[in-house]
Amino acid sequence: MSEKYVNARGLQCPGPLVQLSREAKNAAKGDRIIVEATDMGFKKDVAAWCAKTGNRLVNIGECNGVVRAEIEVS
Amino acid sequence: MGRKIVIVGGVAAGAKAAAKARREDPEAEITVITEESDVSYAGCGLPYYVGGVIPDRGMLVVRTAEEFRSESDIQVVTGRRAVEIRRGAREVVVIDAMSGEEEVYQYDALILATGASPIVPDLPGIRSQGILTLRRVRDADAIRSFVTSRRPGSAVVVGGGFVGLESAENLALLGMDVTIIEMMEDFPPGFDPEVCRHIANHLMEKRVGVLSGTKVLSFDADPDGFVRAVRTSRGTVSAEIVLWAGGVRPNTSVAKEAGIRLLENGAVAVNEWMRTSDPHVFAVGDCAGSVNLVTGRSAWYPLGSTANKMGRIAGAVSTGVTSDRPPTGQFLKGLLGTSVFKVFDLNCARTGLSETEARREGFDVVTSTVQAPDRAHYYPGHRDIIVKLIADKRTRRVLGAQVIGEGVVDKPIDTVVTLVTLGGTVDDLATLDLAYAPPFSSAMSPVIVAANVLLNKMDGKLQGITAAELKRRMDESSATVGGGPFILDVRTEPEFITRSIPGAVNIPLSELRSRLHEVPNDRDIVVVCKVGRRAYLAYAALKRRGFGSVRILDGGMTAWPYETT
Repeated sequence: MSEKYVNARGLQCPGPLVQLSREAKNAAKGDRIIVEATDMGFKKDVAAWCAKTGNRLVNIGECNGVVRAEIEVS
Repeated sequence: MGRKIVIVGGVAAGAKAAAKARREDPEAEITVITEESDVSYAGCGLPYYVGGVIPDRGMLVVRTAEEFRSESDIQVVTGRRAVEIRRGAREVVVIDAMSGEEEVYQYDALILATGASPIVPDLPGIRSQGILTLRRVRDADAIRSFVTSRRPGSAVVVGGGFVGLESAENLALLGMDVTIIEMMEDFPPGFDPEVCRHIANHLMEKRVGVLSGTKVLSFDADPDGFVRAVRTSRGTVSAEIVLWAGGVRPNTSVAKEAGIRLLENGAVAVNEWMRTSDPHVFAVGDCAGSVNLVTGRSAWYPLGSTANKMGRIAGAVSTGVTSDRPPTGQFLKGLLGTSVFKVFDLNCARTGLSETEARREGFDVVTSTVQAPDRAHYYPGHRDIIVKLIADKRTRRVLGAQVIGEGVVDKPIDTVVTLVTLGGTVDDLATLDLAYAPPFSSAMSPVIVAANVLLNKMDGKLQGITAAELKRRMDESSATVGGGPFILDVRTEPEFITRSIPGAVNIPLSELRSRLHEVPNDRDIVVVCKVGRRAYLAYAALKRRGFGSVRILDGGMTAWPYETT
């Protein structure tokens, strides 16, 4: 199991989601991906994307204008 | 002896008129007569006082009766109701609410600031305990004490206007399960259907129940007479408190009996100096009508901002009432029905005509809807807003706008307010020299982007379709057999699988060229992306390849408030 960090700060949607999707395709089951984004639209998008793709949204939070989402690939 | 100015009503417009009259004329005898015990309070703050956001009642009071007396030599007579205007004798007859005694006040100028009152129909059970309205400070006190003593767990707010929405939020903040019941299909008034849908979606996200297009029929009460449930045309909703916010009507019966001219809706007709059909009588605030600046027609906007402007004008003009010289200084040309409110995390603003209203007025309507961040997209703390702009194709005049989102909405709406007031065109708006630095806005501010999209549409560079119109076309085609528009979604695959319009086909923009054969050339095509930029590129590509009927979904997926898969 590995952990991958994606810095999507400053990217407008769909940048963060596209990067996350790309990482997820290259990841193995159980791997964790951490995405940080400044586009607030990512908050809703990542939750919906996880629900649709069956990946698990372990954690999501916002601090100082940065959304941090932790996803477990399944 | 100074001239006698009598003001009936002392909340916003009345209090403002009194204060301004005193500044203009140090000698005048100024009397404010009011039925309530509170004067000069911030009525617009009441929902937040109910919710505890504003903890202290005193914070709502701008000026007390005693301060009016001691600081401005303005007599404030509380607990008295004006019952008759004798215009010939220039007298107003007043009744003491406690003793029932009659008093007569003489005036040189009479300013009516009698406000508006909630419209409460006589439905079965409406007199049950816990069915309340919110208009005056004492109404808010009553709600607060009911909530404290009864601890209601469920609430129904009847009416999806601004007060209804703000109250729903505040009751929810107090921990109640709240349902909003509104008779109209779309609410709040003045917003177009697809924008209303965004607001309704936000309410539901915040766990507020929304029953639109629903009529309240009656109320059930427990054996002690306390409300338990609301029966509606769409079933029964349990409620331990009901806030009736189903609209207001102007309080003008005394003016009417005195033969003063009223508008069709009952508001007092006034000119731009707030004069009624009697030159010695003025009307201001929620009891007074006005004119819509875009249509030039009579209108009625019972709002605090309007009340203050009207009060100030009448206060000044009334001090010159006995002279023949025309009133100088300010006058009120008309209004746009500008309003702004917030409900939970969503800020909403509107001005001028909505698309629906503009079509009804017979304008050659063209609209644009764009989604954009309120500040530079790379600056921390930015939030998105959706701007809908409405214009007349023939004259290119901007007619109105609606702005909603978690970001700043009052700045863009006020920009449009200024432009519409001065009769500006879409071309004017597109090149306004607006303030910009990353913490404040974008290099191309959202209203300028919206204006540019409108220009492109008016100049035939692109054809758009609103979310409401696409939804209607989809519903029509599913009712018949096939033949609906081909919805081409040109976003990336992860975006598409996350949220898309039912039936849409995904061909990412980067693959469009090689997959053109998948696009039918015998159907109407609607191109969709997230906000519109990629759709515009796809639109241009399709047009170049000879596709006839292509349109772009206005505002893209972000402005699509309907069902998704």
